[in-house]
Amino acid sequence: MFADCCRIIHKDLVSEFRSRRAWPAMLLVGVVAALVFSLQMDLLPHEKPRLVGGLLWVSVFLAGAAVIERSVAGERDDGCWDGLRMMPIAPGALYVAKLAVNFLALLALGCLLLPLYFLLSDLPLLSHVRALASVALPACLGLAAVGTLAAALSAGNGRSGSLLLLVAMPLVFPVILAAAECTRLAAEDRFDDAWWRWMQLLWAFAIVFVTAGTLLFDYAIEE
Amino acid sequence: MKEHDLPLRAIGLTKHFGGQAVLDRIDFDLSAGECVAWRGDNGSGKTTLLRCLAGLTRPTSGEVEWFGRRIDGDPAVRRFLGMSAHESRLYPQLTLRENLLFAARMYRVPQPAQRVDALLAEVGLAAHSGRHPSQVSRGMGQRVTLARAVIHHPRVLLLDEPFAGLDEEGARWLWQTLTAMRAGGCAVCLTTHEQPAACQIADRVCELRSARLNEMETDVASRRGDVHVSVFPARKAV
Amino acid sequence: MSARRSISRVAAESSVAVLLAAVVVAAALLAPREATMGDAQRIVYLHVPVAWLALLGFLAMAAGGACYLARRDLRFDHAAQAAGEVGWLGCTLTLVTGSLWAHEAWGAWWEWEPRLTSALVLWVISSGILLVRSTIDDPHRKARVAAVLAILGALDVPLVVLATRWFRGMHPVAPELDPSMRAALWISFLGLAALFAWLGECRRNQLRLGQHVAELARRSSALVGM
Repeated sequence: MFADCCRIIHKDLVSEFRSRRAWPAMLLVGVVAALVFSLQMDLLPHEKPRLVGGLLWVSVFLAGAAVIERSVAGERDDGCWDGLRMMPIAPGALYVAKLAVNFLALLALGCLLLPLYFLLSDLPLLSHVRALASVALPACLGLAAVGTLAAALSAGNGRSGSLLLLVAMPLVFPVILAAAECTRLAAEDRFDDAWWRWMQLLWAFAIVFVTAGTLLFDYAIEE
Repeated sequence: MKEHDLPLRAIGLTKHFGGQAVLDRIDFDLSAGECVAWRGDNGSGKTTLLRCLAGLTRPTSGEVEWFGRRIDGDPAVRRFLGMSAHESRLYPQLTLRENLLFAARMYRVPQPAQRVDALLAEVGLAAHSGRHPSQVSRGMGQRVTLARAVIHHPRVLLLDEPFAGLDEEGARWLWQTLTAMRAGGCAVCLTTHEQPAACQIADRVCELRSARLNEMETDVASRRGDVHVSVFPARKAV
Repeated sequence: MSARRSISRVAAESSVAVLLAAVVVAAALLAPREATMGDAQRIVYLHVPVAWLALLGFLAMAAGGACYLARRDLRFDHAAQAAGEVGWLGCTLTLVTGSLWAHEAWGAWWEWEPRLTSALVLWVISSGILLVRSTIDDPHRKARVAAVLAILGALDVPLVVLATRWFRGMHPVAPELDPSMRAALWISFLGLAALFAWLGECRRNQLRLGQHVAELARRSSALVGM
């Protein structure tokens, strides 16, 4: 199963690298969002961490949504999705492979937007790289877990497709809130109980929804 | 898998789309080495029936069994199954060779690279293996699609209008491949719009009309007669 | 409809009516007037029960969805949809009464109070699910998509509640209630639960009949086409 997942991931990454269809657009949308949001932030230095975290993670989800949606919808272009569904692999493995690619995309986006937001709002970044990376991992995983399942549901549903990603947005509310709080606490250099509690919530969300996605993916892709 | 289990069996297969019955209580068996052709007009439900049998579309009611096992129960049973459809199922960003190699590896074909190269040579596309699907003609693409369907030596083959878009050489390759596979026990099920070649190769011809599948009274001798010549003149000359 | 069924239906409807009357009596007369907020506090007897019923409706929708996925029987989907819609109604009422309460107690129509925020997120999720439902025609596809979303939504509930609580760092604990207030609260919960259950049952029945009509229409058109 692991080898199958790796093959699909490899295939997806090669396809994306050659076509450069979705990722560059995603990164560009993210950068534009960061610039627009940061431009509006005329705040006192101690107020900035409160806002940066929230805006950062909302931008990651919004910019990443297009890539997540394409991850399944793109497969359907030449009937490739049917070909993939007929292969002797468990639907859960297919989900894990798609999830991994989306996770990598969001992580790349996070790696670009985190420094950008911190730079533009003049917050200390270098001293907190490790802490911020440990926030980004479960946050991107949680976002990708819900997003991938929503993308699979939407791919088979024509006109309600874009609607489904909107439905996914309130579902990821806990992730955005928790990731924003962790980012704020890190920027304020406060690694206290509250920080650990939010980190636990992030991991709990990621674990719950990756498990649910693996189990429900078969129902989501059915036609 | 038991030896006496039928490769493919559908029991009471019914499919509704938006309240309209596309398939209505269809029973269908396929034995090893047998070839069945389904005829039907556009929109008669041939593709839907094929997709239901392949486990791609869930029937509203009824069951499909592969070698005595339900297809949605066990992904491993899909290894016995090959299918080609209207769409190419080829990834546009991968070359023809990479596409076949991906499929071969996913189906755990032993020595995938050799198998892919041999298959590409068989369909006469060895020289074009580095091209992308968009860089070859429709007929060439169809050959690769069919090669992809048989790459893992399936024991049941479902083909949706396989002769459409194939030139003479491609049709001959397909004919030979199907004949050889059937001799090895592979069951074949194909749909056709109105293609004599498809009806010639079949042991049985069924017609899908008004959501029901009816076996047609066919004269085997006439099917295997002159039409054969007109489709494959080159073969007769040999 | 058989006589027995119509009798049981009348009995059910009249007991709902009696219980609702009891709710009004309990909230308006049985419960004492609260010292600081006065009569406005009586909103609680509507607000708290509908909030719980909204949550129950939401969980029932997920349970109905899970049963549908397991059995592929549209009756489970009808139950899930009815529960979801009634739960949505409860959620809407929670937000409205909560906002009224906030205006009386805190002087603002909306406060980012954890429970209200959770209710808002829940309302957005359930609205989304009902919206997606309404865009899909095929009954089985609709049921399947809604079931997956409802299960995801139900899994999300505890995380949303935790996140909103921690975010504000305040934990509004249930205050010590006067025994008669507690009794009034229970009576209103029971009465409103009966009302919501009756509404849900009516809706479920309506959906079932709608399905039946569609089936008959399909059969008759198939007969005409023959």
